[in-house]
Amino acid sequence: MLFRRIYQFLIVYLIGISFLLAIKTGLSLSDYVIPGVALIIETAEMAVKPYFFDVMNTLSVTVLGQFLSIIMAFTVGIAGRRSSWVGSFIKVTAYNIQAYPIVALAPIIFILLGDGFISRLLIASMICYFPLLLSVLGIMATPVKDIEHFYIVTGRMRWQLEVKIRAFENLTKLTTVISGSATLAMAGTIVAEFIAANAGIGYSIRIALYQSDLAKILIALFMIGIIISIYQGILETMGEQIKTKWSISKKGEIL
Amino acid sequence: MRTNNLTVLLFLICLIVATPLSAKEIKVNYRLKWLFNTSVAGDIYADAKGYFTQAGLSVDVKEGSPEKNAINELELNYADFGVASADQVIRALDKGAKIVVIAQLFQVNPMQWIYRADQPEIKTLADLKGRNIGITFGGNDETVMNTLLAAAGIAKDEVTITGVRFDFTPFFKRKVDVWPVYRNSQGVILKDKLGKEGEKVYFFNPADFGVNFVANSVVTSEATVKNNPDTVEKFLSALLKGWEAAMDPANEDFTLKAVKKRDTGTNDEIMRQQLIATRELIKPSAAVKIGTIDIAAWKQTESIMLLEKQIKKPVNIETRLIQIK
Repeated sequence: MLFRRIYQFLIVYLIGISFLLAIKTGLSLSDYVIPGVALIIETAEMAVKPYFFDVMNTLSVTVLGQFLSIIMAFTVGIAGRRSSWVGSFIKVTAYNIQAYPIVALAPIIFILLGDGFISRLLIASMICYFPLLLSVLGIMATPVKDIEHFYIVTGRMRWQLEVKIRAFENLTKLTTVISGSATLAMAGTIVAEFIAANAGIGYSIRIALYQSDLAKILIALFMIGIIISIYQGILETMGEQIKTKWSISKKGEIL
Repeated sequence: MRTNNLTVLLFLICLIVATPLSAKEIKVNYRLKWLFNTSVAGDIYADAKGYFTQAGLSVDVKEGSPEKNAINELELNYADFGVASADQVIRALDKGAKIVVIAQLFQVNPMQWIYRADQPEIKTLADLKGRNIGITFGGNDETVMNTLLAAAGIAKDEVTITGVRFDFTPFFKRKVDVWPVYRNSQGVILKDKLGKEGEKVYFFNPADFGVNFVANSVVTSEATVKNNPDTVEKFLSALLKGWEAAMDPANEDFTLKAVKKRDTGTNDEIMRQQLIATRELIKPSAAVKIGTIDIAAWKQTESIMLLEKQIKKPVNIETRLIQIK
């Protein structure tokens, strides 16, 4: 799965670059508008190493941000699963806050928390959190009637059991959402760095943009793509392993 | 006989159709560098007063933004003329773009630094020592500040450099002493805000210390200058007429009204102050003709960029400057 992710990304990236180069050739554009192969290679030689460390820096915030958002999404999702007033309030709040663009909230975050690590982490978590929350809310709020009915009529249903049943029955959906949210967390961190930070690949992209250096941006995109593919591949593999392990260990036993 | 009549009729039809075509205005796209505000007062004025129309041109004055690059648009034929900063022009030439500069709008670079008047005034470059200086990493101000520090022989550890962005909080909180601003836009706003708190400010202008880094200029493609010299002349003449009028204090009310139509978010008094500040940068003295290309300043800008490794090779900028009379 991991290697498939990487070569799929390479195919997409190469198609993208080829498309740009075809436009460059077709319209006789200078290297300022679209860099040629020689300039991309030359820039890569110079920028790959620093950009690798920049992406790793961003990834460290991404992983932490995603972890935080998973915890938050599950906490709020579980609390808001009931069709009570509180549950419905949490759902409405989640839907509404999602509507606010992060670029509008970011300046407030930076004024309150400065432009360091915490702001990057918070923005990454926020971008990643809402889609996760909506999925978790959707899953946790939908009863698995066939199974739950048994525990309800026998008087053995507890909230922990209810959560377990619903999570187990939707495991594939949950792991897909969690691995998918990695790209959102990465995008969130990059947005935060782009708006205000002194580190990370988003910050480097901003500098490259100031200098209208598309070659550097293409290299940055390559580094982001390859590293996020590896990270997502790892998450998917982990998800598969958890699913297999859980299925074997339960084998029809009581949850 | 019938054939002759038909020929005459066809000729007349062609004549009728062709006449309005020849009288039709030439469509021109003009991409600005930044959002509509007093920094582009002359462009707005020329449009609002109909100078372009009078010159037989139908000019679409398009707002700029960080993502919109006039030079890219020239190459892609989305724009016929545009406004670009000198560093953009020199970088583009370094990468093979075929563009030329036909007018220099800002005679003094608006990119300056603001600092509180309760701090010692910066009278010589040596006065920068020990200060916490804000710079936008990757921006022009970084290049200019590096040049200033090098010229003064100030080592990097003799000052504190802090990366800054749009949020002025570090300056308000006095975490950064000297903050980079566009003198005629952010500079006016900050001066006003601090003024309300009873604080006075100074501006540190690199040009006062011999560093003339050129700012916004009007650019077009080599092909346009070669193939449509008449359009270039008409466009520039109408544009500069607009700028001359907009910078004339006698036309202040009309200028502000025209800008206000496109920049509804800025309050009237701030806008008036911004116009005054813009006037000093575009037309620093009555003797200066708007649009004059300061060749020496362009050469210095190129030298600075070479020294700072912003470009790989000399671009001989003087060969790309066309002062249209």
